[in-house]
Order: sequence, then structure tokens, then C-alpha cells
Amino acid sequence: MMKKQEETRPRRVRNDILLIAVLLLVAAVGALYLFVFRGAGNTVTVTVDGQLYATYALSDTVEVDIDSGDGTNRLIIRDGKAFVETASCPDGICVAHRPIFRDGESIVCLPNRVVVTVTSREQTDAPDIVV
Amino acid sequence: MDWFDTVITITGYEYTQDAFDAVANDALAQLGDYHRLYSIYHRFEGVENLCTVNDLADGAHRTVTVDRRILDLLRYAKEMYTLTDGTVNVAMGSVLSLWHDYRAIGQDDPAKASLPPKSLLLAAAEHTDIDKLVIDEAACTVTLTDPLMTLDVGAIAKGYAAEQVARSLEERGVSGYVLNVGGTVCTIGKKPDGSDWTVGIEDPDGDGYLEYLQLSGQRVVTSGSYQRYYYVDGQRYHHIIHPDTLMPASGFTSVSVVCDDAALGDVLSTALFCLPLEQGLALVESLPEVQAMWLAQDGTETVSSGWATYVKK
Repeated sequence: MMKKQEETRPRRVRNDILLIAVLLLVAAVGALYLFVFRGAGNTVTVTVDGQLYATYALSDTVEVDIDSGDGTNRLIIRDGKAFVETASCPDGICVAHRPIFRDGESIVCLPNRVVVTVTSREQTDAPDIVV
Repeated sequence: MDWFDTVITITGYEYTQDAFDAVANDALAQLGDYHRLYSIYHRFEGVENLCTVNDLADGAHRTVTVDRRILDLLRYAKEMYTLTDGTVNVAMGSVLSLWHDYRAIGQDDPAKASLPPKSLLLAAAEHTDIDKLVIDEAACTVTLTDPLMTLDVGAIAKGYAAEQVARSLEERGVSGYVLNVGGTVCTIGKKPDGSDWTVGIEDPDGDGYLEYLQLSGQRVVTSGSYQRYYYVDGQRYHHIIHPDTLMPASGFTSVSVVCDDAALGDVLSTALFCLPLEQGLALVESLPEVQAMWLAQDGTETVSSGWATYVKK
């Protein structure tokens, strides 16, 4: 649809649009860099059903019950690592998961729809995806 | 989202949240459709899926008219049976459902955990002849001519579905995305700054990564004994069942495959997990554009000849 509109416009306007697009790209990449490289500390992010529930610093000591509505997971953050100590879910996969601390690592509790993820804004060699 | 009984994440770069949401919601809707069609455990209102094919009353012949996408998957599964010399066999449903049920009991209540009895496994293995899965392309039907045979597409459906969705996005010109369907990863284009995606392959035994890969458009699939398992008498039993021993395949902790088709990658990662290293290596080297890495139980790493091209420098 966009293409069709552009074709009917004079060349200069099209160049302007190109310039604006390039500027936007530069701004977006710049913003991305700021977002990735600035800010302190490693962070533990908790989501419930895809929605942000809470964030904690990985360096803190935290003991909290995450109530998802479907059940409860007890999240412990200690000595720079995060793990689920107990949970109401039937399979206990989240409890069996080893403590996480690497950037991009997650503990997932499917029954309770809880995801605990470590994100880091310091490491620059962290992978985009972890499998 | 927990379709395919796993976690789906979509990573992408867009200027606006709306643009990202449009792509992500489309991908999730498509994956949801595939999940409903390929599910062997659940039925869905108004859908003839693989569960229907498996569940139909034990008649001598069970012919079901199916969605074209089911037919395409099963035809592909037959090709993969040939390619892997029977190592990946979707007609193993009777055997795999035994393991599935015993694993579910063991996970629910570890005190009741036990292994499926050998006699039951052997009896089930009598009904795993893939030639008894008959596909009629013209009529778009599937027939199981062995009444006791069932289908299990666990080693193939996730990768197949992910690949179809990734291709549909690519055909629309989408770029700068990564689709991760429970460890089946499809990179779509490069990152918007022109750089490759970095994919870290988890080291199941340690704290680091086995490998950092640089990918732009390829797929990577990992099969690991640490992904799904249960304990019996303190011993861990994982979910990748060898078609000959009918027991969890031994030898490797994790196998990763990089190629340009997630369906192939999914099948191969399972096959390579079961095959002896030399045989698996020969299979990989015989296929164009396929690379693999094996992590043996003793910690030894082996890679195929072109693997290094994807390793981050």
C-alpha cells in the first residue's frame, strides 16, 4: 500500500521520505545501543502470562512468592543466582531447573505461566538467543 | 504461548510496537493452527487432527479425511523415515505413548515412578510399521491399516510447523526476526544493523555455552537428554527413545544441527542422537548445507566438516 502512494509522488518528496527513513533507522539503532549498553547491573525479570510481573537485581537477596493466579512459585535470588525453590505446579520442572545467572537464561513454569529470565545490560558478548 | 507443549518466543526489531505485534500475532496464530492439527494428545472442536486419527475406534481400517497440512507433514515424515534409515519413525506411537504415560506418572508422583515393562514395549513395537500408514493424495485421506498402530509426530511436527511459519514470514518480506519454538530456532534475515544473530548453545553440564553461533537466515535445532526426563530409582530417563532398544538413546547429552530447514533439523537432531557417531557423521556429510555438533556423555565434542563456518569468530 505504501509503495503505491510513493509512486505517485514527485522524486524530491520520495528522497525526503528516504532521508527520514534513514534518520529513523539511525535513531532506532542508537536507541538500541543506549538500551543495551547503558544502565547498571544484571536483572531478573519475572513475567506471568507474558506480562511483566516484577524485576529484581541479580545481586540482591530476594525471597518472594510469585502468585500467578494459576499457582505459586517461590523465587529465590541469592549469591548472584536465581532459582525456584518450591512451586504449586504438578510437574516441578521449574524447581528441578538449576539456578540461572547467565544473560538470556530462563526458568519456565508452564502450568503457572511464569517465566523468570536473567537479562544483562553489561555484557556485550551475550547471545541474542539461547538454546 | 505453550503450543507444542513448549515455550515459543519471537524476537524482532521494528520501529513500532504495532509493527512487531502484527508479525508476532500472525506467527503465533499460524503456530496455533499447526498445533491443533498436529496434536496427538488433545482434540479440538471442529478439527480433524492427528488425535482423531489415533483415537478412531479400533477398526480394521481407519480412514480419515484430513487437512492438507496433515497430509504434507505425514508425507514428509515418510521421506524422513527413509533418510534416517528408520531412526525417526512417526509410526512408533504405541511405544512412545507407553513412555509418555510412565513419564507422566513418574513426574506426578516420584514415589510411583517406574519403567514401562519390557513385555509391553515389545508388544507395542509389533505395531510400528510405517508402511501401514497409507496416504491418499487425491482423496486427502490417511489410513492406518494396522488397527493397533498410532502416530507420534513429536520428533518432527514442531520443526515442520516452525519452518512453514518462518517461510510464510520470509515470503512476506519479513526480516530481522527470530522464531524460537522450544529450542527449534529459525533466524529470519539479519539484525537490522546488518549483523548476524548470535545463538548460544547451552552447555548442559556446565555454566557456559558449548558454542556461540553466528546465523543469518539459518535454522538451529538442539536435541538433548536434559530437556524432558524423569527419574526411576535415582536414574534419569530422557524422552528420546531408540527404535531398536525401545529405551532412551545413550551416548550423547546433546546434538545440535544447523541447516536451512527447521523440519529437517528437527528430524536430524533426533536421528543423530540415536545413531552411532560415525553413521551420523556420514549422514550429515552426505547432505548439502547441513552441519552438526555432538556432545558425548563423556564430554567429548565432535563437529561436522563445515560447522566452523557458523561459529562466532
